[in-house]
Amino acid sequence: MPVIEIKNLSKSYRVYQKREGVMASIKGLFHREYKEVHAVNDISLEVEEGEFVAFLGPNGAGKTTTLKLLSGVINPTSGTCSVLGHVPWERKNEYRRRFALVMGQKNQLWWDLPAAESFRLNQHIYGISAEEFNRTRDELTDMLDVTRLLSQPVRELSLGERMKMELIAALLHKPDVLFLDEPTIGLDVIAQHKIQQFLKHYQETQNNTILLTSHYMKDISALCKRVVIIAGGEIYHDGSLEEIVDRFSSHKIVTLQMANDRSLEGLQNLPNVISVEAPKIKFRVDREDVGQTLGEILGLHDVDDIVVEDPPLEDVIASAFSDAAEQQKSQQETIEASSP
Amino acid sequence: MNPSYLKVFLTFARNSLVRDMSFRFNFILTCFASVSWALMNFLLFKIIYQHTDSIGVDTGWHENEFFIFLGTIWIINSLIQTFFMANAEGFSEMIRTGSLDFALLKPIDTQFLISFPRINWAQIPNGLLGLSLVIYSLRALMNDSEKVISIGPVEWILYVFYIGCGVVVMYSVMIILASTSIWLGRNQNLHTFWFYITNFYRYPMEIYQKSGIGMALWGTFTFVIPILVVSNVPARILAQPLERGWYDWQSLYAIFAAAASLVVSRWVFKFALSSYRSASS
Repeated sequence: MPVIEIKNLSKSYRVYQKREGVMASIKGLFHREYKEVHAVNDISLEVEEGEFVAFLGPNGAGKTTTLKLLSGVINPTSGTCSVLGHVPWERKNEYRRRFALVMGQKNQLWWDLPAAESFRLNQHIYGISAEEFNRTRDELTDMLDVTRLLSQPVRELSLGERMKMELIAALLHKPDVLFLDEPTIGLDVIAQHKIQQFLKHYQETQNNTILLTSHYMKDISALCKRVVIIAGGEIYHDGSLEEIVDRFSSHKIVTLQMANDRSLEGLQNLPNVISVEAPKIKFRVDREDVGQTLGEILGLHDVDDIVVEDPPLEDVIASAFSDAAEQQKSQQETIEASSP
Repeated sequence: MNPSYLKVFLTFARNSLVRDMSFRFNFILTCFASVSWALMNFLLFKIIYQHTDSIGVDTGWHENEFFIFLGTIWIINSLIQTFFMANAEGFSEMIRTGSLDFALLKPIDTQFLISFPRINWAQIPNGLLGLSLVIYSLRALMNDSEKVISIGPVEWILYVFYIGCGVVVMYSVMIILASTSIWLGRNQNLHTFWFYITNFYRYPMEIYQKSGIGMALWGTFTFVIPILVVSNVPARILAQPLERGWYDWQSLYAIFAAAASLVVSRWVFKFALSSYRSASS
């Protein structure tokens, strides 16, 4: 049985349309225009135990709203959902004891107190025995290398250190399901890497189910086998990372190391050249033409080394996002054209 | 694995104290401000009692009786400000910023969790001052040979109990006001509302019972927002401005009012939560 089961889940908001200017604001006191925003639109999804799934999508795509629905913070407009056999928005304590939500942009620790005090509070809220609490806390602080910071007020911690503390606070009760909303946002490369490593290790040892949203491709390629692309509140793609590359990138990047500068002659005029650093040249080739193109070049030029690779993940995802946006636009146009 | 409400509460109390102490000048200043407000309040009524010797005719609210009343109000106020004022405001702020999200995730009663996180220890001195005023005035009253009042353990137990009822009613009013932030998006009027409302509960109810307008106010603050009855009943138990027997129905009604306020506030709170939209991350 899947741990998370979402069926036709939708959430829409009525948003007040505020016009510019003072007069319009005064008018707004008496008569307000609202617009219906479909933050999440008819999403269906199943996640099995032990999966590490990434939610990917442009800002405002509905990723965070989905996580908020799954954690029962908000109620849906329609549709059903079950996590660990519970309906999240019933907010049953049995359910709330078994999952955690970490939001990279929000802070749940007491700002003026050491993180240790917030941990202690969570111990009592989750009813964790002292022995188990101490063990889990020591394990986690050790793994994330923050033991020496436990008694420092949270406001004096760096963003990276604080994020580690937030993670610990969320993991003290050993949740079976973990929702991570941009846990590495704003962190430097080293801190990002540390948190990735930690999450990877943690998930492997605990075998819990994790949903992660992030804008950093490094997070996703390091952690998640399965990627769900959400755009405009709808699921646009659900599959492995490799599938995304196959589906959304039409070309490969070829780098040739020529034997000498002279062998480069004629190649600079190829279409889609990305860079030339003699005797090295880099260019894009359509997937199906890779063999033929390389064959032709090898016949005419003196080549020392060849590297053929997929374009950077960022580029692939960007093209996936723009494809999704395109598709939505055309859908909208069809709807508008068919309505009288 | 059930949450321990007592331990959570004690952790809140402890954390608040540690926090208050780490900003000790702010702490001292807050103590000083609230104590001086109380003293000025006291002086004002002292001056008023230089002009008259009782409020109204045959109401029994002479100087000592009235100061028992005033001390009682200070105690209730101090309890509210110590335990709930900052939390009700904090709740409003949590709704606006979306940090209520975290409270909703915790496997513990949400209303409990948002009602107690900050305990404002700096408001305690006010309550102690109130208690001193009550004891001092009561002693003066008992030494007054013209008065016949009897205060035993029963009266003291009732007094504490009815102060509890008063706190419950005031708390409920506050939670209901704070809950409206969920629909309004922002409600920074909490302090102002509190000030307006407490303006009406700070006096013996007899002062309202002279004219139509007064009776309308009396009715409103007795039956609609029952704050007047809960400030009057405990004070009367000690001060006994009139013969006993007159306050029977009010004493019963105060219990009902406290219970009903709590039920209504809980209902409003839950209803508000179901409309919570959370703020953008």
